[in-house]
Amino acid sequence: MHRRTFFFGGLAGLAGCRRSSQPRLNVYNWSNYIGPNTVAEFERQTGIRVRYGIFESSDELLAKALTGNCGWDVVFPTNHHVAPLRDYNLLAPLDHSRLPNLQNLASDFRAPEWDPQLQHSVPYMSTSAGIVYDRRQLGTLSRWADLWEAKVEGRMTMLDAQDDVLGACLVKLGHSWNSTAESELRAAQREAIRQKPLLRAYLNAEVRDQVVAGDVLAAQMWTTTMLPVMASAPQLDFVYPAEGFVRYAESAVVLRESPRQEAAHRFINFLLQPEIAAACVAAEKTGPVLAGVRELLPSELRDHPLLFPAPQDLARGVWLRTMPPSAQRLRDRLWTEIKSA
Amino acid sequence: MKRLRLAFLAPSALLLATLFLAPLVIVAVYSLESRGAYGGVTPPFTLESYSRILDPLYLKILWRSFWVAGVSTLLCLLLGFPLALFISRSGPRRGLYLQLVMLPFWTSFLIRTYAWMFLLRDTGLINTALLATGLISEPLPLLYNDFAVILGLVYGFLPFMVLPLYTTLEKLDPALLEAAADLGAPPWPALARVTLPLCRPGILAGSILVFIPCLGAYLTPDLMGGGKSIMIGTLVQNQFTTSRDWPFGAALSFSLMALTLGLLYIVSKRSRGEDLL
Repeated sequence: MHRRTFFFGGLAGLAGCRRSSQPRLNVYNWSNYIGPNTVAEFERQTGIRVRYGIFESSDELLAKALTGNCGWDVVFPTNHHVAPLRDYNLLAPLDHSRLPNLQNLASDFRAPEWDPQLQHSVPYMSTSAGIVYDRRQLGTLSRWADLWEAKVEGRMTMLDAQDDVLGACLVKLGHSWNSTAESELRAAQREAIRQKPLLRAYLNAEVRDQVVAGDVLAAQMWTTTMLPVMASAPQLDFVYPAEGFVRYAESAVVLRESPRQEAAHRFINFLLQPEIAAACVAAEKTGPVLAGVRELLPSELRDHPLLFPAPQDLARGVWLRTMPPSAQRLRDRLWTEIKSA
Repeated sequence: MKRLRLAFLAPSALLLATLFLAPLVIVAVYSLESRGAYGGVTPPFTLESYSRILDPLYLKILWRSFWVAGVSTLLCLLLGFPLALFISRSGPRRGLYLQLVMLPFWTSFLIRTYAWMFLLRDTGLINTALLATGLISEPLPLLYNDFAVILGLVYGFLPFMVLPLYTTLEKLDPALLEAAADLGAPPWPALARVTLPLCRPGILAGSILVFIPCLGAYLTPDLMGGGKSIMIGTLVQNQFTTSRDWPFGAALSFSLMALTLGLLYIVSKRSRGEDLL
């Protein structure tokens, strides 16, 4: 595809690069979030050398990017961090003429609510969080409210992340996951404190082993984290809770300060090919954002509910939103109160 | 001669000034600015971050941190003193024992903490063994509570107690204990009235070396405590990550530093002549 684009793009990249004879690109992504050969394939096709760095949390990325001069060209914030980066004038506007593969985006991701015109970001992968639980020990769970039941006492964990804990409490109470209303947030905080005696711990991905081993019977967890072990632990089930759940989309953005805009666009355009995306999805078990990827996946992933929730489940999902500073501040405080309660 | 001395001192002075003093000044300036909308700092200058620390919520966290650090230090002392005494009286094997005390430093603290988590969890070695012997019928809750946090801190910082204690005990003149025995003091009173008082500098140095890092620890409380309670170190870290409230984080760390220095000053005043600072 588009060999000519690559050729001229390569020339432009060469011309734009003064110091090194070989064009170079600095890519900063989540750890374990790309196919094993994706970068090598890009380098082979384009002759652009890639320096690939990884981060472990969105906050780490944001903290680095906000200080400026971080030296990365393409980075992958989660959807709710796109607005802060844009407002700080850190993002380069995307040139859609250099991203012909945008046409491969699935309809859900063509006009996402956080960047409807895809002016600064392009969706890359999508994931969500729900409840993973031991069906043999607990029976069927279907709601967040089940995590307030005595039967999970001492054997249940929530994510160690304020958006996720407050969000689950908010939807349990019938409010919006992304609520900014003080009264609703305070009610959610009380709900979280009420849950604490039943809680074993607030744990992120590290809880996975304990869920598989049976130490923990129910956990609020990301689909991406659980999917690789679901097949080997038949007692486990995953539910998108009835009250609603959150979705995240990792997005590719180009930093404004990057002197390698051309190469950065080429990298993003490269990722927007179904074959490339399918390899990333198969390797990382994270939901695709492109049409035509599902058909390319191995059969055990093609219909996996953790990658492709049923339409009636998906309808309850909401995208995590950027909080206005005042709501963010209140949430921070409530979270600290929950922690020290 | 004087010039030569200066020449040798210059690199370390420069290093300290750029890598220690400069970041400190930056933190001080940050702590006086206002919070940026999504992180960072903006003008105007304000003392608001400092006044927020007096909020009961944060004072409670501070108090909890002091309590956990204090208990951990005391346990380190109770465990470390007999150990240091034993090593100092072990003759030619002293070197070997000291090596063993320091052996854990050869592995990353993070990995050792994870190893503890594997030991302590429900399906971990300890609970599995106890269940197999029939001593217990339900796994003991060993992980994700204050017990686990303090265990992790004591384990991590015990060597910092043992080493200074050993140094003072090793310098102790055996003739003093012989004199005590000659004057009719049995071993225990001699320990309490001769060895312990003479060990004061070691006890103080060890306690400070343990207490201060325990106070600011965030890795152990987070991993072993399961994020259910919060210590000051985690609070500071949160301000720079999830909360993105840099001025408050800077003010917190600065206040903690001032508090620690104040305590050190008081301790050193009360133990006249023993250089601590």
